[in-house]
Order: sequence, then C-alpha cells, then structure tokens
Amino acid sequence: MTANVPRRRSLAKVEGRQALGFATPALVGLALFTIVPVVLSVVMSFFDWPTFGEKTFIGIDNYIRLFTASPDFWPAMRNTAVFTILYVPLNVGLSLVLAMALGPRIRGRGALRVLFFIPVVTPMVANVLVWKMLLQPQGLFNGASESWFGVTLPNFLADPQWAMIMVVIMSVWQGVGYNMLIFSAALEQLPESVMEAARIDGASGLRMQLSIVVPMISPAVFFATIMTMITALQVFVQPQLLTGGGPGNATQPLVQFIYNQGFKFQELGLAAAGAWILFALIIVITALQFGAQKKWVHYEH
Amino acid sequence: MKKIRMGAVAAIAGVAVAMTGCAGSGGASGSGDDGTIVVDMWAGSADDTKALEAQIKIAQEQNPDLKIELRTAPWGDFFTKLTTNMASGNMACVTGMNSGMLSSYTDGFAELSAADLKTAGLAESDFAPGATEILKNKGTMYGLPFDVATMLVYFNADQLAASGAATPAPGWTFDDFEATAKAATSNGKAGFAVGMGDFQWQALPIAKAGLQPVSADGELQLTDKKFVEAATWYGDLVSAQKVALPVASASDTGWGENQYSSGNAAMAVDGTWNAVSYLANESGFAAGMAPLPSEGGESLSLILGSGFGISKTCENKEDALKVLGSLLSADAQDYIASSGRSYPARAESQPLYFESIDEKYRAQVEEVFTAAFENVQGQYVSDNWSKVGTYVQPQLVSVYNGQETMAKVLESAQQQFAN
Repeated sequence: MTANVPRRRSLAKVEGRQALGFATPALVGLALFTIVPVVLSVVMSFFDWPTFGEKTFIGIDNYIRLFTASPDFWPAMRNTAVFTILYVPLNVGLSLVLAMALGPRIRGRGALRVLFFIPVVTPMVANVLVWKMLLQPQGLFNGASESWFGVTLPNFLADPQWAMIMVVIMSVWQGVGYNMLIFSAALEQLPESVMEAARIDGASGLRMQLSIVVPMISPAVFFATIMTMITALQVFVQPQLLTGGGPGNATQPLVQFIYNQGFKFQELGLAAAGAWILFALIIVITALQFGAQKKWVHYEH
Repeated sequence: MKKIRMGAVAAIAGVAVAMTGCAGSGGASGSGDDGTIVVDMWAGSADDTKALEAQIKIAQEQNPDLKIELRTAPWGDFFTKLTTNMASGNMACVTGMNSGMLSSYTDGFAELSAADLKTAGLAESDFAPGATEILKNKGTMYGLPFDVATMLVYFNADQLAASGAATPAPGWTFDDFEATAKAATSNGKAGFAVGMGDFQWQALPIAKAGLQPVSADGELQLTDKKFVEAATWYGDLVSAQKVALPVASASDTGWGENQYSSGNAAMAVDGTWNAVSYLANESGFAAGMAPLPSEGGESLSLILGSGFGISKTCENKEDALKVLGSLLSADAQDYIASSGRSYPARAESQPLYFESIDEKYRAQVEEVFTAAFENVQGQYVSDNWSKVGTYVQPQLVSVYNGQETMAKVLESAQQQFAN
C-alpha cells in the first residue's frame, strides 16, 4: 500500500503535465481572445481613447460623463430596463404556457413545437423585414384594419410609445420557441411517481400545474429566466434594425448606445465605460436572482 | 518539470508569433510584403463591384509591375469597417472617401502635396471646377474625386401628368414646388417623399435658406434662423401641408428614395449619382429630373463627390499614388462616364456621360446637369459633422410625425456637437 502512493503521485504528475499540454492551446486562446480584450477594455474605459490619434488618461471621467453629461445614456438605460421588464416575464410566461399546452395529449405537438421554434433559427434580419412589412403604415396590419374596420392604426415604429412595445412583441415572437423547448424537455422529465402520488391525492387541472408541475420544473424556469434576462439586457439587433433606435432615442438600448459611441462617434473609451456599466448591471441582477432562488427553486437532492 | 515549462512557454510563444504573423499578413498597412496595393471602396451591389473591378483592371494594365487587390463593403458598413481598420493600423493604401464623411477620417489619410499629384500623374487642372475641393478639409487635400455630384429633384412624370400637376423644370421656384407637390397628392399617392439621409433631407433646406448648416470655417450653425425656418418648412411638408407620407421607422434610411422608386410619391430629392437608375426604373414609370427649386431667384446646391486617398500608414506610398493616378486617369474616368455610372470628376470625360444616356433623356439630363452644377458650393463640414447626422436622423422621424419640432432637434444637435 505504501509503495503504491509514490507511484500514484508520479502518475498524477505525468497526467497533470499531459493535461496541461492538451489545455495549452485553449488557454492561449482564452488569454488572447478573452482575458486580454477584457483587461484592455477596463484600461480603455479610463482613457479618452479615440479610434485613432492621441490617447489620454482621464481616470473615471468617462463614467462621470456618462452619468452626468451624456444626453442619450439615461434614456438608453431606461429603454433597456423597460425592454427587460416587459420582455422577460412575457417570454418566460408565454413559453411556459406553450410548453404546458403542447402536452402529450396534443396531436402533432412535434410539428407545433417546430413551428414555434422556427423564428429562433431564422436570421433576425429576415424576421425584422417581415415585421416591418406588417407594421408600417402601408403594411398588412394597417391595410387590413382600414379596409375591414375603417380604422387607421398608429404608425407603430415611428411612435415613441408604440415603437418599444413593437420591439418587445417582435422579440417575444422571435425568442419564445427557445424557452418553450427548454420547458418541454423539463416537463418530459417529470418523475411519474410524484405525478401519480399527486393524482392519488386528488390534484388535477390548474392546481396540479401550479402546485406540482411548476415547482418541479423550477430549476428549468430559473435557468431560462437568468439567460433571458441576460439576453434582454444585451438587446441590440431588434431595435437597431426595426426602429433604428428611434424615433429620437425612444428605443435605443444600452448596447446600441455603446455601439454608436464606439463605431459611429469613435469614442472607444466612453463606449468601454458604458460596456462595463452594462456588465456590472448584469452581474448584480444575476447575483440577486441567484440569491432569491432559494425561495422558489426546488432541487431534488 | 523544467523541460515541460520551457515547452509550454515555447508553445505559447509559437502560437503568439503565428497569430501576430497572421495579423501582419492581412496587410497591416494595406500593402502586403509582396507589394500588393489594396484598394478599399464601398460597393452596394454586384453591378457596383463589377464597375470597380473594371477600373482596377485599367489600373492594373497601366501598372503591370504592381499587384492590385480590391476590397469592398456596402456603404453602411464601409465606414464602420474603415474605423476599425484605422484603429488597428490596417487601413488599405488606397481608400475610398466621400465628401460628407471626410472630416471624421482625416487622421487616417496622408496629405496630398503637389509632388504627390505629380507622382500620380495628375494635375488639379484635370478636374472640373470645384472638384478638387471635394476631398479637402480646412484647405488640406486628402484625396481626389472620381465623380462630382449634386442633388436634384426627381419626378414621376406619369403621376404628375395624371394629377394635372405642373412639371418641374430648370428655373422653378419653391412656390412651384409646393404647388406641384399639392396637386400631385391624390389617390393615396403623395406629392413628395421626405428624405432621411443627410444630403437627401438637407438639400431643400439649404437651397431655400441659401446657406449651409456649417459655416465656411467649419463652425456648426444649425440654429441659424434662416436654416431653422427652411428646415421647419421641410418638416411641415409632412406634418402641416400633408403632401408627403410620414416615415415608417428611423431605420428606413432610404425612405424618400424608396417611396419615389416604388411609385408611392411623385417627387423626391436624390443625388445625380442615381440619375441613370431612376430613368430606367424597375417600376416602369416615366422619370424626369430638375435642379433644386430657387427662393427669390437664388438656389444654393452643394457639390459633392467621392474619390480616393492614400492612407497615412501606407508603406508603398509611391506605388499607391500610381494606382490612385490610374484610378483617376482619363481611361478610368472615360469608363465611368461612358457606363453612365456617375458624372466624372475629370472635365474632359464629362461629355461622355451624356452620350451614355438613352437618347430620349439625353437633352433633359444635359440641360438639368448643366443648370444644377452652375450654382454649387463645396460642402462645409464641422469636426463633429458625422455625429450630427447620426443624431439627427432618428429624430427626424419624430419631426415628420409632428411629435417634435425641427427647431428643437436642431438646437439640441447644435448644443451637443458645436466645436
């Protein structure tokens, strides 16, 4: 027994070296393409860093400028918050209802799942083009409303209030299939014994869903909520293509603001500072969610 | 253990060197080690790319000892890509540039001296009057244009005839414009389509006010009373006079042009660069054109254009100048002119452009172009000019929809972006 220990140790050492050898390319990639850019972006946020020309260290001035002097920053924060608050519950709720509705008794549920999943895999540009054709004043919705009811609909994408609602609706339509698939997978995995026990105890219908099914799939709901929240805070393509961030800055989210600062206004330092504020927001909100999960997420141990 | 550490360090160093090498061979300065001169230009369609390739071919024939490579990106992406390339020191030796965008990119371009022009085989006198001003900023030349352009009013002659509206013609006034727009607004069609692009929406306010939103010395003057009044009048065409449709979304950057092309609006403002495509439009309507209307007998229009400059980081400046010279040579300019793609910057090639136009339109195009280029002024831009455009465009949607006043938008832009 005692003779085996040194041999094991040396074996572990050899394996450790081999593992390091295999991991090195990945580690180099991680360092070059993740760690270096991350560190650089932190450094950048403390500089007046034009895309070309002299770079000047200015401390936290970029952050101060964002919070006090940048006319579009607070609206961008507000828009991101509004989008997230509307989008996350709608997306998670609707996909949960869909997943539950497409239960084992539904005929052709596989085909229906595919239908709901299609917008997730279709390129966003194509989705946006279709929605634009539906929503513009000469589009399908207004045309149908005028000819059937004689009512002219608002200019959805050019009206400050409607534009954000339409960005949310289009995003929900686009993203609902993904969470639905996660919930469907979780529902398929429900332990039959627990369901059976609940049924024997007289649970059925809505009561069964709310008291038994939802708590049982709460880890999946938690995962979906976290991921959806993060993607909602990072929303960019939908407002960029559907409304151009307008009218005015009514639908410009934080990521589009960062993009404009960096690539259109060529203020990389300010853009980096904005990106770090977004990062901090995401971390704080995610941490809060992890903190709150003990109260409502049930893991089987 | 030591050996392994050394091995790991060597591996990391190797990968790093290989990666640096990759970046380098991408043309750190737009000219590869094999002396390739990279030409970077925007191209929005297969036709654009084909035309550029034809010009590159001419340059290649004139410089058989050089290797020339063309890179393209659509207009919208070109400047984002250029920003990234400039930031990473990866700008192509010969880079395309537009008069309206130059002020944001002067740091990337080498100044062109008289000696440089000589190396390129070019002289300022080769170009049409005012053309060499196009790619100058505060008196310094950063490039030379391959085309000159100005803004025109294009009209759907069929729609105007059907509604009984008067046809625009050289010498027409803003009163005539309003009368035509009103008369043509009928049967669900609009008389005019407002623009969203910088040039497209500013052309009429500039012509009406008789001044540019930037002073000759580069100071932003968006809040100049005359300009505000003229711009307000422009916004009112949608919200008050209701002769134009409200814009559907701030992302519809080519709104006016698209409305006109698809036959929804009788008139729109666009550049001379689109004259041929409008005349041979896919919708099949008879198209016409007129210079911008005048106010009190005067009408101010901008001379615009695009061309090429040499990047500051270019290692083979002399070769790049030769390529630039060839791209702007008489042969290349004759090609541009005779293909009808744009109105060339070289004076001697300009008549060829009219010859390329369909005979039934030729006289009209020549008359309108001659009149339109008569009273042109080089575009003045401030240091933050491209930021002004980025800011104002999504605001215009609110102005057209009557939710915001033009005066407020211009004042806000002035406050944010005045030098």
